[in-house]
Amino acid sequence: MEDVVSGAGSVIMGSLVNKKSLKKPTTPPAPRVASDGSDSDEQLLIAVGNHQDRAAFNALFSRFSNKIYAMGMKLTRNEQLSHDLVQEAMLTVWQKAPLYDLDRGTAQSWIFTLTRNRCFDILRKMKRQPATVSADDIWPQESDIDSQLVHEEEGTMEVEVSKIQSFYGQLPAAQRAVVEQIYIHDRTHEEAAAVLEIPLGTLKSRLRLGVGKLRQMVGTEV
Amino acid sequence: MNIDAKYHPTPEQLEGFAQGTLSPGMNVVISAHVELCAICRKSVSELEEAASEEWLRSTPDRRASSINFSAMIDSIVDHPQIKGDRTTADSVSEIHMLDHSVTLPRALAKVASDGLVWRQLAGGINQATVTLDGQTQCEFLYMKPGSQVPVHKHQGNEVTLVLDGSFEDELGHYKPGDFVVRTAKDLHRPASEEGCLCFAVMDSPLTFTKGLARLLNPFIRYRFRRATSAAAH
Ligand SMILES: [Zn+2]
Repeated sequence: MEDVVSGAGSVIMGSLVNKKSLKKPTTPPAPRVASDGSDSDEQLLIAVGNHQDRAAFNALFSRFSNKIYAMGMKLTRNEQLSHDLVQEAMLTVWQKAPLYDLDRGTAQSWIFTLTRNRCFDILRKMKRQPATVSADDIWPQESDIDSQLVHEEEGTMEVEVSKIQSFYGQLPAAQRAVVEQIYIHDRTHEEAAAVLEIPLGTLKSRLRLGVGKLRQMVGTEV
Repeated sequence: MNIDAKYHPTPEQLEGFAQGTLSPGMNVVISAHVELCAICRKSVSELEEAASEEWLRSTPDRRASSINFSAMIDSIVDHPQIKGDRTTADSVSEIHMLDHSVTLPRALAKVASDGLVWRQLAGGINQATVTLDGQTQCEFLYMKPGSQVPVHKHQGNEVTLVLDGSFEDELGHYKPGDFVVRTAKDLHRPASEEGCLCFAVMDSPLTFTKGLARLLNPFIRYRFRRATSAAAH
């Protein structure tokens, strides 16, 4: 039974510092990008955020676009969707760069998480899953944009328990007695036949009829 | 909001959450715990750093030749940038129970924002099912004080996050924020003395093993199949 309850004390690491400060960066103004490609990803990202630096964005684009495309191919196996992922992820990098600061971790991790999130949304659309929750609801540190709420009609397929109970009441008495013995009193077929004083074969056929009728009644309701 | 939870997701679940490889349903319930639990929040950001390392290290440096990069860059930089953090007001952040209301973590508030339809099950249990994907069955469960879930087995894994009140089973007593994982091998019998609101995610439907609840088995499977095919067509 050792893997029955997971987690008690299993993921305790380090101190409880919440790094997800939403404050604006306190970093000094970043220098313009060096043309020799020696800038760190963080410097590039901050340059994009602080003064819409096109050269810095080009550099980030050439460092990350093929990685993003590869993640898309791995998860969707579809060239068009992977192309869309590059477009959407790099657009998000551009749009949210002013929100990045060093407290949020490395630039590569920041870009990874927003790529992961765009990929989640693309996959959800591809699989036609309900749009109830988007990636930005699930991973909230990236939740700055109002996500558009798309309501897809999803029919409900449920059958109320109370209905089943009322169907059960509509069964002929002989069948209801059998269903009651088996499903409510939890008796075996042999025990139920003995209690009702009927042959085992009779019990089984009444049970089959009774359960069949219940399913029919439920089926017409759904 | 911070809660000292005693039970957390497994390291594998947190890793899948950080890497983005889990189903939407499993992501939602882990997200709700992570919002409440500072320890797991820290783990997730470390796992994200590790996943990004792995991503860059393992990806071959090969360009997708079909992409016109300069055209793409031109179209991107035409967009305005976002200057400040915006906070969005969720349409629902609370569930009203009989005598009080419960504040929900963000992802669950979003899940509940389409409206919940509560149904009464046997044993003092109320259930509101939500469809998030074709791989899981997700539901809010409200156990009235003194209620007991019929003994049941799982075909897959079940995760239960306590939101309010508490429940207990053979293995422990679970309070708000606790993340309880049960595997297919377990047969268990949760009960709640003081009443409990939970969110539960199963990666396959329940199989009740006893009593009137057994009558429901074919219908539960039916519902799951329908929900799956509706989501996949
Ligand atoms: Zn935790």
